[in-house]
Amino acid sequence: MPVRGHVGSDYERLRPEFRVISNPWAPTERVMLVPPIVPDVALIHAIAATRDGTLLLDHMEDDALLAQASRTVVASAERIVASEELRRTGDGVILEGIHVTALVEAPGGARPTLVRGVSPIDADQIREYVAAAVDDAAFKRYLDRYVYD
Amino acid sequence: MASVIAREVRDGETVAVGTLAAIPACGTLLAHFTHAPRATVIIINHPDYWPFRGGSKEFYDFAQRGKIDLFFLSGGEIDRRGNLNLMFVGDHERPRVRFPGGAGAAMLYYMPRRVVVFRAEHSPRIFVERVDTVTSPGSTPLDVVRPGGPWKVVTPLCVFRYDPGGAGLVVESLHPGVSREELGRRTGFAPAYDGAAGVTPEPTSEALDLLRTRVKDAVARIYPRFAATAFAR
Repeated sequence: MPVRGHVGSDYERLRPEFRVISNPWAPTERVMLVPPIVPDVALIHAIAATRDGTLLLDHMEDDALLAQASRTVVASAERIVASEELRRTGDGVILEGIHVTALVEAPGGARPTLVRGVSPIDADQIREYVAAAVDDAAFKRYLDRYVYD
Repeated sequence: MASVIAREVRDGETVAVGTLAAIPACGTLLAHFTHAPRATVIIINHPDYWPFRGGSKEFYDFAQRGKIDLFFLSGGEIDRRGNLNLMFVGDHERPRVRFPGGAGAAMLYYMPRRVVVFRAEHSPRIFVERVDTVTSPGSTPLDVVRPGGPWKVVTPLCVFRYDPGGAGLVVESLHPGVSREELGRRTGFAPAYDGAAGVTPEPTSEALDLLRTRVKDAVARIYPRFAATAFAR
C-alpha cells in the first residue's frame, strides 16, 4: 500500500522491501509502497461474542483490522451472548464471525490490560511486569509466580 | 512547556496529540480552554477527544489526507537539522540504544501543516549534531509530497524555530533564567540564535490556574500518574 512521507528517511536504507516508485497519477512525485503485514495467527480478546464467532470489540483499538489482516484468528471473549444482545449494544465495533477461526469464552482473558467498559487496566501489575522484564532471573520469577504456579 | 505549546495552537485549526504526549495534551487543552475554543482537538484514546471508531487506521488515514494542521512529535535523538531518531543508535542488528520505534512518525512529520517537537530532557545525548538513524527527516527532496514539517522545538530550556531555508534549528527564545552559556553546555551542537532571540514569556496566572484545574482533570483521564505528579507546586 502507498504511504505518504517516509521518502528521504533511513527507512529506504533499513527496509529494502519498502519500494519507492513514481506516483502513477503524478509521475514527478516519488511515493513509498509498503507490503502488508500478514500475521499467521492473531489472538484477540472481545468484550462479548456470539457462538458463530461474531465479536464485539473495543472501538478505540485495532483488533478488527488485525483480525482481517491475519490468516488465523483465535478469539477469546468475556462472555458468549445471543446475537440480539451483541447487536443492541451502543459502544464498541462488531467484527463479523466470517473473520474468526476459533472462539473461547475466557472471562478476564485480557488481564492485565483493559477491557473497555468491563475491567480497568491493572497498572500495578504492568509496572511489576516492566520491572521483572529487565533481566532473565527476575522475569523467570515473574513467570513462575503468575503463569506456571 | 505546556504554556509555550498552547501559544502555537490557533483557533479553528485541527490539532492532534499522539501517544505518550502528556505535555502537548496539556498545552492543546490549555489553548482550547482559552484562545482556541473552535479548534478541533484530537487526543489519542482520550474518551472526550478521540472522534474515531476505526482504531488508529482511521486516524492515520485522516492524517495522510492532510487534515491535521498541528501535530506533536518527539525523538530519542533530535539534531540541528530537525531530524528525529525514534529507532536506534548503533548497528541495526545489535543496537547500542533502542528507542520505541517510528510508528507513524515518518508520515506525521510530513502531512500535518506544522509539527511542534517536544522533549522534556534537554541534554547533549538528546540534542545531537547528527542523529544516528533518521526516522523522520527535517527536510526532504522536492519530488516528495510534503505539505508540512517541523515548525518549533520546545524544551525545558528554550524554544527553537525551524528554518526551512537551511539553518535548521534556530533559538527563538530562552526560558527565564536560562543563559546562552547553559544552553550551549546542555546542547550537543552549538546553538544558532535568531537575531531577535529573547526571553520566553512566563505563563500567565490564568494559564497556571487552568493547567492546575481543568487541564489537569482532563489529562488525568489518560495520564493519571502524570496528572498526579506533574502539577505539584
